[in-house]
Amino acid sequence: MKVSLKWLSEYVDVPADTKAFCDRLDLTGTGVEAVEKTGAALDGVVVGFVETCEQHPDSDHMHVVGVDVGAGEPVQIVCGAPNIAAGIKVPVACVGAVLPGDFKIKKSKLRGVASSGMCCSGRELGLSGDHSGIMVLPEDAPVGMPIADYLKLSDTVLDLEITPNRPDCLSMVGMAREVGAMYRTDYESPLADMAAKLELDAAAAPVDEQVKITIDDAVRCPRYTARVIRGCKVGPSPDWMVERLAAIGQRSINNIVDVTNYILFLFGQPLHAFDLAKLKNADGLAHIVVRAAQDGERLTTLDGEDRELTSDMTVISTPELGAVALAGVMGGLDTEVTDETVDILLEAATFEAGRTSRTSRNLGLFSESSMRYERGVDDHGIAERSAAAAALMVEVAGGTVCAAAGNDEGVVDEWPASSTPCDLRFRIPRFCAMMGADIPRADIVDILARLGCAVSEDPAGDADVLAVTAPTFRPDLEREIDLYEEVLRLWGMDRIPSTLPGGPGRVGTRSHLEHVLDTVNDVMRASGLNETMTYSFAEPGDLDRLRMAPEGLGEPVELINPLNADQSVMRQSIVPGLLRSVAYNQSRGVKNVQLYEMGMVFFAHEGRKQPKERRRLAGVLAGAMRDAGWNDRPAAFDFFDGKGVIESLARELALPKLRFKALAADEAPHLQPGRAAEVLSGGTVLGWVGELHPLAVDAFEAAAPVVAFELDVEALAKAARPARDYVDVPAFPAVSMDVAFVVDEGVSHEKLVQCMSSAGGKLLEDARLFDVYRDEKRVGAGKKSMAYALTYRAADRTLTSDEVDKAHERLVKKVCGATGAEVRG
Amino acid sequence: MCARWGRRGEETERKREDMGIVDEVAALREQTLARIAQAADTAALEQVRIGVLGKAGTLTGHLRSMGQVAKEERAQVGKTVNEVRVAVEEALAARKAALDAAELAAAIDAAAVDVTLPGRAQQMGTRHLINAITDEVSEIFLGLGYTVAHGPEVETDYYNFEALNAPADHPSRSLADTFYVVDRSGEASSVRGESDVLLRTQTSGVQVHAMEDRELPIYVIAPGKVYRRDVADPSHLPQFHQIEGLVVDEGITFGDLKGTLDYLCKQVFGEERKTRFRAHYFPFTEPSAEVDVSCGICHGEGCRMCKGTGWLEILGCGMVDPNVLSMSGIDPEKYSGFAFGMGVERIACLKYNVPDLRMLLEGDMRFLRQF
Repeated sequence: MKVSLKWLSEYVDVPADTKAFCDRLDLTGTGVEAVEKTGAALDGVVVGFVETCEQHPDSDHMHVVGVDVGAGEPVQIVCGAPNIAAGIKVPVACVGAVLPGDFKIKKSKLRGVASSGMCCSGRELGLSGDHSGIMVLPEDAPVGMPIADYLKLSDTVLDLEITPNRPDCLSMVGMAREVGAMYRTDYESPLADMAAKLELDAAAAPVDEQVKITIDDAVRCPRYTARVIRGCKVGPSPDWMVERLAAIGQRSINNIVDVTNYILFLFGQPLHAFDLAKLKNADGLAHIVVRAAQDGERLTTLDGEDRELTSDMTVISTPELGAVALAGVMGGLDTEVTDETVDILLEAATFEAGRTSRTSRNLGLFSESSMRYERGVDDHGIAERSAAAAALMVEVAGGTVCAAAGNDEGVVDEWPASSTPCDLRFRIPRFCAMMGADIPRADIVDILARLGCAVSEDPAGDADVLAVTAPTFRPDLEREIDLYEEVLRLWGMDRIPSTLPGGPGRVGTRSHLEHVLDTVNDVMRASGLNETMTYSFAEPGDLDRLRMAPEGLGEPVELINPLNADQSVMRQSIVPGLLRSVAYNQSRGVKNVQLYEMGMVFFAHEGRKQPKERRRLAGVLAGAMRDAGWNDRPAAFDFFDGKGVIESLARELALPKLRFKALAADEAPHLQPGRAAEVLSGGTVLGWVGELHPLAVDAFEAAAPVVAFELDVEALAKAARPARDYVDVPAFPAVSMDVAFVVDEGVSHEKLVQCMSSAGGKLLEDARLFDVYRDEKRVGAGKKSMAYALTYRAADRTLTSDEVDKAHERLVKKVCGATGAEVRG
Repeated sequence: MCARWGRRGEETERKREDMGIVDEVAALREQTLARIAQAADTAALEQVRIGVLGKAGTLTGHLRSMGQVAKEERAQVGKTVNEVRVAVEEALAARKAALDAAELAAAIDAAAVDVTLPGRAQQMGTRHLINAITDEVSEIFLGLGYTVAHGPEVETDYYNFEALNAPADHPSRSLADTFYVVDRSGEASSVRGESDVLLRTQTSGVQVHAMEDRELPIYVIAPGKVYRRDVADPSHLPQFHQIEGLVVDEGITFGDLKGTLDYLCKQVFGEERKTRFRAHYFPFTEPSAEVDVSCGICHGEGCRMCKGTGWLEILGCGMVDPNVLSMSGIDPEKYSGFAFGMGVERIACLKYNVPDLRMLLEGDMRFLRQF
């Protein structure tokens, strides 16, 4: 909300130091979003005293004057105005000043005489249309004073952020009250004086015989008042009102509409002026019915938009015209005040906050009125504010205000639901204990009183308790804690000493899951992978594009209101996001990509309100670990780099019985057949690893090969063992034997190891594969040579060569028997 | 010994022979010492040693032939031969040491490298900036005795809004601001015909779960991903991260809130930074405040970074509203508490000057590997 400090200072003292004022506003809860100085265009224009005035030697209409501008020596100015004379005070634009129209004042010579400035007319200063001569200032104008200050042209306009709990601050008078409480000083509201100016026309037909109000639902409209002003002349507003409205960014429309706006900004009371003649039924009665809109009912609002309404919205209607205004939001076009309007029906009312808010949002229609109603407009005082508005209308547009037959106020007033002030207790010791500071009782009482609360002693006589009645314009003050907030913010949060909680019962702990997450992150980084984050949103076709089978991934979680079609469901796999990042990097010339992400995937299930969320770990590897160096040629990534990362993870998490099971093409269509494996720990499936299918990679516009894996983190955490078992460090020497088995391609490493392990028994400590060799001539077609370094050792003695030879012979024999292997000589 | 030199006849003859050995050995000594001195490397020196002291060595031959020396002369000749042997061995050892030293020096010299050549380093991976900041903050609170809590990202309206005292018509609950998801439970939704299931807009829901599920006192922080319906641009993302904290205990004061967040800011941004608390409004806390940290660039003077204010807004906080405590079954007359929340992306911007938040989600290796 924009606040003109010039206007505000009519009602309360505003500190001269704007910076300090803004800081204080900020700290007490009224955010200052912008500070705009207006009137600054007249910088360099000051009050000058014409000391001397002589005829220009070379001109019959120009004068050469000496002007005291408060800068010591008088300045010499050549002036052509007819009314220039010695002894008068005039506005002087000094050298360097810039006048409206970007007119810069420079030193110059006029017909050979130097001139250092300009004496100005009203028009030259942009203050009036008068250009008949110099603007002559009163004799007591202080020489040297900036003209903007002297004429009170300068103003500072603050753009304030009023929090949604403070509808009372959405007006000049409300802000004056707030500033009064901030500085513990008095403010003055002009309401009583303005309302007192209202004169009622007893000669006219009584307002309550011209207007009838029916409120269908008191919740939607707790109070509705109407006045009739007859014989107005719609026309331009007076300058002072135009200026005040302009200062806070409001364009002048006409005197009637401007008055409604002026009262809105002054008191926070939205008003609406109807053209009474257009509102009247055939019988001459204006029957206002405040009711729910019918679904599908239409209204053309003041902005010219034809709008379809719903029953959630409230309308002002008449039996004959139907809806004439959208309650609290905007008036209708058909009944608006025009230049031809003579009689006005002035509405002052209050409407339900939540419904107004929804109406605005659902229609995308926001107004100064709706903004106030959705925060709450006080039902008390409406008649007074309406009286002030009616009196002001008469003042600026003429006419008379109709008296009423049923009351002395000249108003038709339906008030089916009156709010009651809230009585509260304020326990001073509890307040101080909760704030952590001793805040004096006198300060508490003063602050609450200045905010408009009635503060008195506790009726039960408890000296530690205050009885506080909150005003109805503060709907946010409903509970004791609400009062605490008020006192704290105005007494000063900065005055509360900083402490740390001292409670004895707290222990910082990390869960098993978090330890697992830490380990996973450590292993990923140690393996050279870089953590990234991608969108949790996905395209509905992502799984298809990835060729990933949807089995076990539930249904996609669909967004009701996605930002765009590309992000209309929640992801069921992290891999599509990572593949997009691979493509992003590759398209920018970054060929070596090692990324991982740990995050949630989402599976919906029919009949379940919330989806299943699973934490997944996914990684992608493309290119190589790094570019070749002078002493280092990293190999291009393949299946085994992905597998190696998982092996490291298994070691660090102490996963029992890690296994990789080859996945067939139909089991994992997203992976390249023959380079795809399921990852298991014991019988538990942890996830998969493999080279992504070239078609899947291509579908994401990335370049194959891309190695990827995706594991379920909760499964990892469940399988992880918190500690590993100790194994004795060998005390006796080992014997190493190498053997190369020539086997069919179909015989896996796992199979050979299983055979060796069972045949080698206790003595076989390790079988390390150190070479795989294929050669059609030397090894044979469809065969491979698998060379192992075997380590034999006994825990309790040094093995004899005889023992080793026997064990080795047995092992080789068994492996050959079980796998059809031949030992390569 | 002098007397023996006067013998004649056979004796003299033998003596001449004996004298011959002594002379030969003396000559051998000179000759060998000269060859040792001339040996150019350890291999040559070894040849000398083998030639003299090896199995078939010349001096070894003399030692072997001692049996043929006359008994009475044997001691004399033997002594001489031994003296020569000792001298030769000493010379060999000395020369070997010298040659070894020279060869080592030469080898070291030859092995010198350009130490400015790149080393052989494992490529370590990197932590994402957002998680690195989350780790840092979590660590600070772990030290203060807090526990880390997690909650679902797809939440119900109750935990995201209602239990946090958000009014039913609060604008943040609208379709324009919150992502709602299809509710597959078949239940009718209670809010405006929209779904009751949504992507959490704040991690505050975790606080409600904590108040419902945990024993008092509660000291938790809840870091996590949240979603708001903002189109991605340099300063907005539809998904971002928050860290929220919650304390519920007896005797918790606003001063405790100030002290805790002041400590946090100093830990994250530096000891020299100041904080200030500005009164504000949030539905789930009362009194509420926003916390600013003094600008690290201008130190409060006002600059472009802080838009001339000297302060950077980083946190929202307040005392837990008694309604929120009551709804979770905690007696607000007995317990009080505070809650706070901060945007991790905001800290990333302030601390690392990330110019465009979208970089955090692109996975650009050139960005990720900076941290």
